[in-house]
Amino acid sequence: MNVNSGFQHQENCTNDRSFIKATGGGAYKFSELFKEKLGISLEKEDEMDCLVTGANFLLKAVNQEAFTYLNGSKEFVQIDHNDLYPYLLVNIGSGVSMIKVDGDGKFERVSGTSVGGGTFWGLGKLLTKSQSFDELLELSHRGDNRAIDTLVGDIYGGMDYLKIGLSSTTIASSFGKATSHNKELEDYKPEDISRSLLRMISNNIGQISYLNALRFGLKRIIFGGFFIRSHSYTMDTIAVAVHFWSKGEAKAMFLRHEGFLGALGAFMSYETHSLDDLVVNQVMPLPVNASLGTDTNYDPLEGDLNGTESIQCSVYRA
Amino acid sequence: MDCLREIETDGNSNPIQISRLALDIGGSLIKLVYFSRDSGDHEDPLNDSVRISNGVNGRLHFAKFETTNINDCLQFISANKLFFGVTIHLKATGGGAYKFSDLFKEKLGISLEKEDEMDCLVTGANFLLKAVNHEAFTYLNGQKEFVQIDHNDLYPYLLVNIGSGVSMIKVDGDGKFERVSGTSVGGGTFWGLGKLLTKCQSFDELLELSQRGNNRVLDMLVGDIYGGMDYSKIGLSSTAIASSFGRAISNSNELHDYKPEDVSRSLLRMISNNIGQISYLNALQFGLKRIFFGGFFTRGHSYTMDTISVAVHFWSKGEAKAMFLRHEGFLGALGAFMSYERHSLGDLMVNQSVQIPVDASSSTDTNYNPLERDLNETESMQCSVYQA
Repeated sequence: MNVNSGFQHQENCTNDRSFIKATGGGAYKFSELFKEKLGISLEKEDEMDCLVTGANFLLKAVNQEAFTYLNGSKEFVQIDHNDLYPYLLVNIGSGVSMIKVDGDGKFERVSGTSVGGGTFWGLGKLLTKSQSFDELLELSHRGDNRAIDTLVGDIYGGMDYLKIGLSSTTIASSFGKATSHNKELEDYKPEDISRSLLRMISNNIGQISYLNALRFGLKRIIFGGFFIRSHSYTMDTIAVAVHFWSKGEAKAMFLRHEGFLGALGAFMSYETHSLDDLVVNQVMPLPVNASLGTDTNYDPLEGDLNGTESIQCSVYRA
Repeated sequence: MDCLREIETDGNSNPIQISRLALDIGGSLIKLVYFSRDSGDHEDPLNDSVRISNGVNGRLHFAKFETTNINDCLQFISANKLFFGVTIHLKATGGGAYKFSDLFKEKLGISLEKEDEMDCLVTGANFLLKAVNHEAFTYLNGQKEFVQIDHNDLYPYLLVNIGSGVSMIKVDGDGKFERVSGTSVGGGTFWGLGKLLTKCQSFDELLELSQRGNNRVLDMLVGDIYGGMDYSKIGLSSTAIASSFGRAISNSNELHDYKPEDVSRSLLRMISNNIGQISYLNALQFGLKRIFFGGFFTRGHSYTMDTISVAVHFWSKGEAKAMFLRHEGFLGALGAFMSYERHSLGDLMVNQSVQIPVDASSSTDTNYNPLERDLNETESMQCSVYQA
């Protein structure tokens, strides 16, 4: 995107090419590099602030942004602007931040966990030699977690432990079977390892998210960040975890522009315009109900957000 | 081990058997608790019976085996005559009480009388906390400190048993409890992932490795993302871990390029911290200020206890306290032992067999641990068993 194209106004504006808004830790870490290579200053915006601003914008201004995923079905959620707050925003990046959002610009980071996307990618790379996050996700499609995880039934001789609400197929110990004396890493299939890893991390995030939502009486948990990537097993695991632990009280929701919350928030922080009254027309018509009956690989929601999908919109001066 | 046959008399002077062995057969480990009578008590060699006036003096012994080595366990039981010809039932808890029922019948000719796992954990924990001096301790800033338990102020508390997996139980009284939560990220995860990543042959070997590791090699810290700075606005220092194993995504390094001690340390940190956090969130939910950690995950290992304690302390802003138990892994077996009908240990008097210093802090040598006994063989508990 041409840095100049969005910033030319009729009025007397500095048309200052020398700074751009940036958030995330790299806004500090790579400040010098931007100056050196592009002659640009990075105007640093608070990460949490940007995540929340970006999320609120998407939820209010973009049609069919948030969706639930249950039993293999994606369903868009109609967001009532008067009933948006409060909610829990869980941003799953390298690490995870959990933010209680009470209104525009009103939020508090209440929790987080270091077991996030970076953990999945890092541990996954060590264990499977996958060269990318997407490769790891792809592997997990074909895996069977029962080869690696110890289930309740494995400990209880095939039985459930109903008294405490655990079925025989519930995972008692992630990677519990990998303690076997007869096998080494090479003896396990990378797809099984990836699947168990994905399950473990997704389930853990779902559980901690729920415990925090519960703490503050929040019924909606909205997941952002590039961990999910519309991957069915991930969404299923997180949604089931939230559903299980909350006994159906809380709902997990995902966002189409999940990984761009921070950047959107930073974008909206430019003083000379505000996107609050942004009118957004989708470039690609999207079906109202995005449920998929049979083919779990086909995903109409999965646009290549890097290149092809853009949002038609108008920018008003505030 | 001498003959452990123990006869007690009931109200009509009829001899009754005191059962003396109970088992907790878990996903990874089998735990045994057994009682042996003190030699020297008067015994009639002809009748083989003893008249008991006010109880039997003896010792409670503790032993453990890997569940995969269950045959060694059966042999141990048989060789030490831990059950008698007349014994038909042995109390057993844990999943293995079901899974290996047939095996016990086949190899030893005994039936396993199955006791509920959660029930036994709670019974065992309550017993230890009330009857044993110097059982629970805190660990802060490298210092172990025993906790004086006030019997009238014991409940409610959160019991977190870290075995292959983790169970979190809200305990409200004797026999009054509810399993409120758990996580599948437990001891089995540490051992399993650790074995895959380092080729360690045992849990203890993994722990040992972690002592020499540096987690900053594999973990991505806040400072790594923020160019060396803190993110103080949200309370994170530059050394806080932003992403466990986050640095392992580096394209230039493969598994063999990392030191196993660093891998083990990051793994231990990740799992311990996670358990601490989820435990705290559950304690908070129910307004519980004390969290007791049981199970064989901790093993008196400083880095583990430190991580868990710091996590609980950090997340609760000092409100909640993490406490550890000396007989951590034997809660279930003890609970099963106490479920024998013929005697109750409710009024058990226990005198420590080994002198434990009141303050077990060891400031300089972090390897020396006066609390760390080999609970397999050497430490047993002097006690008396009364008929309920």
